[in-house]
Amino acid sequence: MSVNSLFTKSGYVTAPLANGVGRYIPQCLRMTIKFCKSHGGSRGVREFIENHLVEFARQNPGTVVYLKPRRHRSPVVVAEYLNEGREWMPLHDMPCEEIIKWLGVLRTSAGYGEMHYRSYQHTDTPSIQGPWTPFTHQPPEKNIMTFPNDACQDPPLLKPSATEIIKKMYQNQS
Amino acid sequence: MVNLTRILMARHPSTVYNDSYWKKRQIFKMSAHFYGRARNCWSIAIRRVQRALQYVVAGRKLRKMWYHDMWNNRISAGSRELGNIPEGSEVMIESLIRSQVLLNRQSLSNLAIWEPRTFKAINNIAAVKDRQDNVHPNRGMPPTGIKGKLP
Repeated sequence: MSVNSLFTKSGYVTAPLANGVGRYIPQCLRMTIKFCKSHGGSRGVREFIENHLVEFARQNPGTVVYLKPRRHRSPVVVAEYLNEGREWMPLHDMPCEEIIKWLGVLRTSAGYGEMHYRSYQHTDTPSIQGPWTPFTHQPPEKNIMTFPNDACQDPPLLKPSATEIIKKMYQNQS
Repeated sequence: MVNLTRILMARHPSTVYNDSYWKKRQIFKMSAHFYGRARNCWSIAIRRVQRALQYVVAGRKLRKMWYHDMWNNRISAGSRELGNIPEGSEVMIESLIRSQVLLNRQSLSNLAIWEPRTFKAINNIAAVKDRQDNVHPNRGMPPTGIKGKLP
C-alpha cells in the first residue's frame, strides 16, 4: 500500500556484509520440513523427499535439513538464517517442481523477510565525475575576475533590441 | 488482556459461523497508520480505507506523470545551463534520437546530476545535430495567415 504503512518494511537492496562481493557464504542455516506421511496435501513433499532431498543436501553442505513427519498436519517448511531471521512457508498441495523452486528461493535468501523495495538498484558511489555543482560548468576565469566587469553587465543570452537591428540593417545597406 | 488465544478461539469459524470480527480486522489492518478515529472506529475506517485504495490505483498513473515531469525539468535545466540548446529538453531529446543516442529521460537526468561532463558531451552531440537538421520545431516554419507567395 503506501510507503508509510507500518506493516510493510521498506528499504533498499542489500547483502549482509557485502556477501558475494568477495566470497559467498550461504545465509540459510537450517530448513525444517514438517509433513504428513499419508495425507494428500503432502504428496509433493513426499515426492521431493524420495527423489530430490539427498541431492539437495549434498549440493548445500552449509544448510542442515530436518524432517519432521507429523500426522494429520499440513506440510510446512521453516528456514532459519544466520541473522536469526526466520521464514515460514506452507507447502500444502504443492507439486514437487514448485517445492524445489521455493526451497531454492529460501536457500538463497538472507533472512530479512519480505520487503517493499524503494529501488531495485543501490550504489555507495553514484558519481564518478563528481556531482553537479553550480560551479561545474562555469569558466575558471571567473575565479580571478575583478568586479565591476564590463563582460558581466548584460544577461548572457540577451537578444539584440529592435533599435540595434534597424541600425545594423542600415549599416549593411550602405 | 495479554493472553487472547482463548478469546479468539471462541471466534473461530468452527464455533461461530457469521462473525464479522475477521472481515473488519482486514480493514483495520489497512487503517493501522491513519490518524485518530479513522484508525479504530469502523464506520469511519471503512470509508477512509476505501478512499485510500482508490488513491493507490490513481497514484500509479500519477507517479509515472510526476517522474516524467521531474526528469524533463532536470534535463531542461541542465541543457539551458550549458547554453547550446536554449529551448530545453524536447529539442535535445529529439536531436539525440535522430543521432541514434537512445538514452531515456531517467538516464539523462541521472547523468545531468551525477556525471555532468558526460551530460555536456551528450548535449554537444544534440546541439550539432540540431544545427545540422533544424530540429527545433519552430525554426524555419513561417507564420500562418499569409496566402500566396511573397515578392
